[in-house]
Amino acid sequence: MNDLRYALRQLAKSPGFTLVAILTLALAIGANSAVFSLINSLLVRPLPYREPSTLVLIWEQFRSQGLERIPVSPAEFRDYETQLRSFEKIAAFDYTTFNLTAGDLPERIQGAVVSPNIFTLLGVQPLHGRAFSPDEQGLGRDDVVVISERIWRRRFNSDPAVLGSKLMLGGHAYTVVGIMPAAFEFPLPLFNVQGGTFGERVEIWKPIAFIDEEMKARGSRNYSVIARLQNGVSADQAQAEINGLIANWLKQYPNNYGEGNFGSTIYPLQDQVVGEMRPGLVILLGAVAFVLLIACANLATMLLARASAREREFAIRIALGAGPLRLLRQVLTESVLLALGGALVGILLSIWTLDFLKRIGAHTIPRLSEVNVDLAVLLVTATVAILTGILFGLVPAVAIAKPDLTEALKEGGRGSTVGGSRNRIRNVLVVAEIALALILLVGAGLLMKSFVRLQNVNPGFNPHNVLTAVVSLPQIKYPASGPSYLGGENAIKFFTEAQRRISQLPGVEASAIAALLPLSGSNSDASFEIEGAPPHGRGPGPDEEIRVVSPDFFRVLQVPLLQGRFFNEADTSTSPQVVIINEALARKYFPNGDALGKRITFDDPHKDPKWITIIGIVGSMRHRGLDVDPQAEYYLPHTQFPLRSMVVVARSKLDPRSLSSAIRSQIQSIDSELPIARVRTLDEVVADSIAPRRLSVVLLGVFAAIAVLLATVGVYGVMSFLVVQRTHEIGVRVALGAQRRDVVRLIVGHATKLVGIGTLIGLALAFLSTRLLSALLYNVGAFDVATFVFVTIALTAVALLASYIPAHRAARADPVVALDHNA
Amino acid sequence: MIKLTNLERCYLLAKEKFFYVLRDINLEVEEGDFVSVMGPSGAGKSTLLHILGMHDHGWRGEYFLGDTAVHHLKPKERATLRNEQIGFVFQQYHLLDDLTVYENLDIPLSYRHYKKSERAAMVGDMLDRFQIVGKKDLYPSQLSGGQQQLVGVARAIIAEPKLLLADEPTGNLHSSQGEEIMELFCKLNEQGMTIVQVTHSEKNASYGKRVIQLRDGWIVKEEQ
Repeated sequence: MNDLRYALRQLAKSPGFTLVAILTLALAIGANSAVFSLINSLLVRPLPYREPSTLVLIWEQFRSQGLERIPVSPAEFRDYETQLRSFEKIAAFDYTTFNLTAGDLPERIQGAVVSPNIFTLLGVQPLHGRAFSPDEQGLGRDDVVVISERIWRRRFNSDPAVLGSKLMLGGHAYTVVGIMPAAFEFPLPLFNVQGGTFGERVEIWKPIAFIDEEMKARGSRNYSVIARLQNGVSADQAQAEINGLIANWLKQYPNNYGEGNFGSTIYPLQDQVVGEMRPGLVILLGAVAFVLLIACANLATMLLARASAREREFAIRIALGAGPLRLLRQVLTESVLLALGGALVGILLSIWTLDFLKRIGAHTIPRLSEVNVDLAVLLVTATVAILTGILFGLVPAVAIAKPDLTEALKEGGRGSTVGGSRNRIRNVLVVAEIALALILLVGAGLLMKSFVRLQNVNPGFNPHNVLTAVVSLPQIKYPASGPSYLGGENAIKFFTEAQRRISQLPGVEASAIAALLPLSGSNSDASFEIEGAPPHGRGPGPDEEIRVVSPDFFRVLQVPLLQGRFFNEADTSTSPQVVIINEALARKYFPNGDALGKRITFDDPHKDPKWITIIGIVGSMRHRGLDVDPQAEYYLPHTQFPLRSMVVVARSKLDPRSLSSAIRSQIQSIDSELPIARVRTLDEVVADSIAPRRLSVVLLGVFAAIAVLLATVGVYGVMSFLVVQRTHEIGVRVALGAQRRDVVRLIVGHATKLVGIGTLIGLALAFLSTRLLSALLYNVGAFDVATFVFVTIALTAVALLASYIPAHRAARADPVVALDHNA
Repeated sequence: MIKLTNLERCYLLAKEKFFYVLRDINLEVEEGDFVSVMGPSGAGKSTLLHILGMHDHGWRGEYFLGDTAVHHLKPKERATLRNEQIGFVFQQYHLLDDLTVYENLDIPLSYRHYKKSERAAMVGDMLDRFQIVGKKDLYPSQLSGGQQQLVGVARAIIAEPKLLLADEPTGNLHSSQGEEIMELFCKLNEQGMTIVQVTHSEKNASYGKRVIQLRDGWIVKEEQ
């Protein structure tokens, strides 16, 4: 208790030192807390479902076509559901949207269609009401919905009467049977999954209703599948059972699966949700550990300087009977107190940092909205703080453990504070700080350069000055035969008219519609046959990424026409079917440059197929990511392949955001019940596609900046201390004729030696460690010479500048005063 | 109580070149004695005192404190012995600036693992005995030099040592304050405490029973 009281008094006595120390530690411990919170929430904390470790996703593959993790068709799902015994429950789901017409403004709501057992599979009970019953599945029995607590609160003012009432969704009435808890989220957005999307949170769940046509189309895969392993069944056993089922399919449906390249694999759900973030987070954890070590080194040098000043006090304490352990306890009490103070401020900093990260990335990074500072984070932070306090307190404690009592207690004794060993410790600490800061800075430099290169990648289209908005037509009002995503003649009319009206808005240069936006995270592919191509037998035919667009789409996105023509008004539902391909597809399938005029079909080419003629070749766009080379794509006109949900794109001479209300008005002037949703500029779409990278770059950049700041303060502190120590010597030198520049050279020369050694060690370690970053780098080598050189020069310059300030002060000192100092 | 035989202390100047601070010191101090060590600056007085106080371990020769052969003890054992037997008064007072008078008196006891209640009683006694109860919550900077040294002496004897070592205890005090401290030493000596003090002052030396003169590290004179 006494130690604590004395320590508090000591710290209060030097408010400047205490403040700097606490801020230094707050930066370092705060950075650690923030990154640990991310890791805890994203990787460690189980998903918010019952026994999440037994939840798996089932994805299919056509490996020889490069198709990994593709969705499942309804017919396949039915086989999984009825034949697999390894799973306790199995459910299908897909994203959908609903146009909610309750209240004044129609609103597009993100929704999902799910197997009725989804909530029991996940083990989450509704907050109010009930989950779906098993018989609420299939057409005619699917007019029930479960809504989220969020939408219940926002749209219905948490009115309990909503339960049992009817909701008008897309012109159809659905009974609300349940309300899910506020924290419930399903599906969780996934990374790098074909068909996955950086979607909004789902607010309405409706039972799946497979139609007969869907059940017949075994190759039409649109549904994701989630399952819970039976108790005692391992993932390997479940996989073996699936493999058996697939072997049966291959025999039973040879035309659907070809020869031996089809598979179905189970993946742990947690890995699918956040697994892709693991390498980035591990690197960030390494970075903050470095920052913490630098802060420790800094604090150790500061405490060493203080220990020198307090040597007499420690000598007295020893003379009065204090043993080494007692002194150690006293010193460590002070350093741990400082560290806990730093942790307290650091926690506040980390809370602000996490709030900021959530604001910028919650809709693009899975589970980021769940990130918070919980008890686990607080415990880890406290542990880190105590260990940190012990670590940086030990150095000065050991250094003062055996003072020369006789010298320290003598009358006017200066003590042995100028001892060589302590200076050596200080020098080693500065060298370590510079080395660590350099490693971090090199890492951050490489990531930043990679990010800048990625941002400067030509995506194949011009994303500037384009506004995008999603418009989904309800099936009841815009019916069509076939799967629910298809539109009919009135969908064609609606979108054609909408596009015409939007094109005439003031400021709009051109407008169009498209089923998918590039880099939006959504994707779609389809198999086709090329007329005259050699038969591929039972092997897979071509399967490439498919897009549905309106004639002006390429003009709006400024995608160049390389050959042939764009779609035009003459391409209607009754005219001959046409297709535009991109350069990548042309090269892949028509290497002789003779694609124009060739024909493809979705039908069996031997059974009087509907042929679709290639009328144009456009430049390739990057769709899956800025860091992924453009894939082969083909485009169909929406007049010949109408869909109900499309994205309106409009290029503007003005700020594109200013168009949003005018576009909404135009859409609602055609159909007053239609909302527009996900209004974003195309620049934002592109930026969102690299959000996880941006998160790593921003955080690593900030940590590197903190590291440089701390290392600079460290160099400054040590050099300032050195100047005070050598004031008398400097006075003598000046009295003997040394010029100011000689004094500056003396101090800066010492700093140069330390910085030089630190830099060399840092460079060597950076060479060894940057290969860990390779997976996160784009178009930049892990040993990029320019980055290494630039960072080294920058850090050296900053460190030497930090040493110049005390050197300059020493050079300006009055030699008379200096000679009197401690004389 | 103290017996030094052939004790010497030297520092290495260069290869095989030594500078001797104390040479061939042979000295006996009886229990209850009051010895004053005198001599010019650099004679080795303070070094001798720090060796007696076991602050300095780099000496050769024999040093018996009571029956204990200090020269055979390890530093940790010497520290224990010092805590049990010796109190030290410094010319600079060396009070801990951040502690109150009460806490300065308390600290040697806390280092000797006395219980809190015992410590409170002993500190209270000492404050009474030195008539500084009113100053117990003051910090050293709020006291005069004489008062500080009074606290220094109180702190040195609070753990009831048998031997009190004092290095120029009045060196920083004006004459009346110095006399007060020396009279206090006499009183302690009369109560049975053995005292060895280093002093430049003939007058202060005269308070003791014996005077030892040091010069260039040698004992040159001893007078009763």
